[in-house]
Amino acid sequence: MSKSTPSTRIALIGNPNTGKTSLFNTLTGMRQRVGNYSGVTVEKKTGTWSLPNGREVELIDLPGTYSLSASSLDERVAVDVITGHGLGQKAPDLVVVVVDVENLRRNLFLASQASELGVPIVIALNCWDVAEKKGLQIDSKLLEQRLGVPVVPTVAKRKSGTEELASEIAKAIETRPMLMRPQWPEAVQKAIHTLHEELVTKRGEKLREGELQRLLFDRKSAVSERLQSSAAEHEPIVKAARDQLYKDGFQPDAAESTLRFRFLNPLLNDVLERQAAMKKRSKSEGIDQLLLHKFWGLVVFIGMMYVVFQSVYTWAGPMMDLIEGGVGWVQGIAADALANTPMLQSLIADGIIGGVGAFLVFLPQILVLFFFISILEESGYMARAAFLMDKLFQWCGLNGKSFVPLLTSFACAIPGIMGARTIHDNKARLITILVAPLMSCSARLPVYLLLIGAFIEPVYGPKVAGATLFAMHFVGALVAAPFAWALNRTVNKGRKPEPFVMELPHYRVPQVKLTCYRMYESGKEFVVRAGTVIFAMTIVIWALLYFPRSTNVEELVTTAYTQELEAGALIDEDELSKRIDAAYLEQSYMGRFGKFAQPVFAPAGYDWKITVGVLASFPAREIIISTLGITYALGGEVDEESDDLRSTLTRAKWESGPRAGEPVFNIPVALSIMVFFALCMQCGATVAVIAKELNWWWASGSFFGLTAIAWAAAVLVYQVGMMFA
Amino acid sequence: MRLNEIKKGGLFRVKNLNCCNDCVSRLMEMGLLPDQEIRLMHEAPLGDPIAVEFNGCHISVRLEDAAHVEVELISE
Repeated sequence: MSKSTPSTRIALIGNPNTGKTSLFNTLTGMRQRVGNYSGVTVEKKTGTWSLPNGREVELIDLPGTYSLSASSLDERVAVDVITGHGLGQKAPDLVVVVVDVENLRRNLFLASQASELGVPIVIALNCWDVAEKKGLQIDSKLLEQRLGVPVVPTVAKRKSGTEELASEIAKAIETRPMLMRPQWPEAVQKAIHTLHEELVTKRGEKLREGELQRLLFDRKSAVSERLQSSAAEHEPIVKAARDQLYKDGFQPDAAESTLRFRFLNPLLNDVLERQAAMKKRSKSEGIDQLLLHKFWGLVVFIGMMYVVFQSVYTWAGPMMDLIEGGVGWVQGIAADALANTPMLQSLIADGIIGGVGAFLVFLPQILVLFFFISILEESGYMARAAFLMDKLFQWCGLNGKSFVPLLTSFACAIPGIMGARTIHDNKARLITILVAPLMSCSARLPVYLLLIGAFIEPVYGPKVAGATLFAMHFVGALVAAPFAWALNRTVNKGRKPEPFVMELPHYRVPQVKLTCYRMYESGKEFVVRAGTVIFAMTIVIWALLYFPRSTNVEELVTTAYTQELEAGALIDEDELSKRIDAAYLEQSYMGRFGKFAQPVFAPAGYDWKITVGVLASFPAREIIISTLGITYALGGEVDEESDDLRSTLTRAKWESGPRAGEPVFNIPVALSIMVFFALCMQCGATVAVIAKELNWWWASGSFFGLTAIAWAAAVLVYQVGMMFA
Repeated sequence: MRLNEIKKGGLFRVKNLNCCNDCVSRLMEMGLLPDQEIRLMHEAPLGDPIAVEFNGCHISVRLEDAAHVEVELISE
């Protein structure tokens, strides 16, 4: 990168729901970058900010945390960045602790922990306005005196106080103000001293006093993972220090909270003045009387989720149609312009333009979902939704926050998987992402409609057809529940769950700007990072379907066609080109591979044409319909409502093998195909998004895993079905 | 009495916390320490988790975790 990053670095840290990100956005505007911390899935946000003296600083927005005890990944990242281990970069020059006035004591706990790590601190008292309205008054000057660092009242939403904050920060970079630290009792000092002797003096570990505190106070500190000495060496040392502390009368797990709050409490005397009764709180409480009501709360919840789902499922439709129409139109122009060079025509129209369309089409759903996620989170309702639903998910290692991503996955797994970012517990997030593709998305619908329309409805009538369609939507969810449970027992084994203690923040009016920014951010990230992969996959599949292109295929088909015509057969004009397409597909690499792989799918009742259809629909499930259209020589323009395709499928016969002459499709085969598509991971875009959100190991693992499950279920359905057929 | 057993309407005081539980450690970092007053605000539709209020903040806790906090009733 040519742009040099400023040499001064400032980290923003604060409890969740303090308006920290809002402040970050106000300060940096659009000059920010979003990425991941290396190796972990914690979002990393950095931006550039110009101080009034013209100095450019790099601002790091750390994840919202209550503490630095590193029991969650977010907290680990925060500790690592503040101590300069996070990004392979030095520690920040200054830490701005964003403090919510209403929860001053709890927020200062975090500030006090950060101060132990030896960094200068400036405190931003955010949401000043809300607190004042509620009759809360804070003597910020007195607080400043007591803490020994600048305390600046701000209202991030209205940009008020940002100038004062900027000038205080500019000063603080030079003066390096340190926050008052507690006078620890002798027992703690002794234990810290012992750790210092053993680890720093004897073993040369580079640890600050604050990091030694983390080792002493936290049951399993993340700091221990970056020590040079082996676990066998340092674990007994840490344990001995903790045991000593216990003997001296302090339970190590409780010592920090007890002592630090004991230190903070007197500092807050007279600082905080509650004038009137807390009005706003009672307003939030009033809303909760309805929204968390055992019955009405659920009614409102279901209503809201219905709106979210309908929006992603239905209302994104016109935008998607527009994109598809636009892509089709451009394809048409390209096809006409390149009519003389068939290979180039196919590469550009079907491969490249089709590939761009393949990922652009998901954009409306992603934007719509993130619009709602942003509003639900900003308003404070997301925590309530998780509260209402938590019990349903507890048993399989998920939590209430999995609900919205999984519900969305019924429309499309891609926004659903991206939406799983709202789940803070990484274990729960992992499982949610892995089971999301099992939710029956809208791309499966054409497959169900085609097969139910062709085989179930004519035999059993519309009622059974409807019931089958309904059942197909639940097959995935039924498999997902035990699958999630099993995943939790295996891949998450040994990893302790993050504590599910969740604040129900005050209700707030969401900010339009922040919502727009969330939508823009998620859309951009999807296009840039997953879009390129989806594009590449589409090109590869195109090539497999196109090559090799030997000219004698066309000659052979044409000769056979002319002979039939001469023999007096009545075949219409289009038939020839459709037959040529079918012949090309049959001898393409994909066609050959389909024939080769057919024995694998034979137990599920598939002939080579269905097998090719299954393989070629890797980029997206609905492709199987156009592929079947081509292999059955109907041309690629068929859809699930096409009577031609339905009747051709019912007439299709086995060309050879033990069942030659029998129909390929019967009810067990139709069910087996539907079940396969309900469970398999036939969606390149989903694989790409999983790879982006987790990594390629999980992406390929879930591809092969789900395909195996789908295959086994398809075989089971076919074999059992044939017993009754 | 334990935090998972408290009833709506009563005001309770924390007597003891089993700090070996991760969720309890988190609650302590949020300021839930012995002598802190606490009350029950809501129960989820399936009875679990519960939402408690202390120090002006509303926190959702699962019953299994709440069982690690010992409380006593101070007023109905």
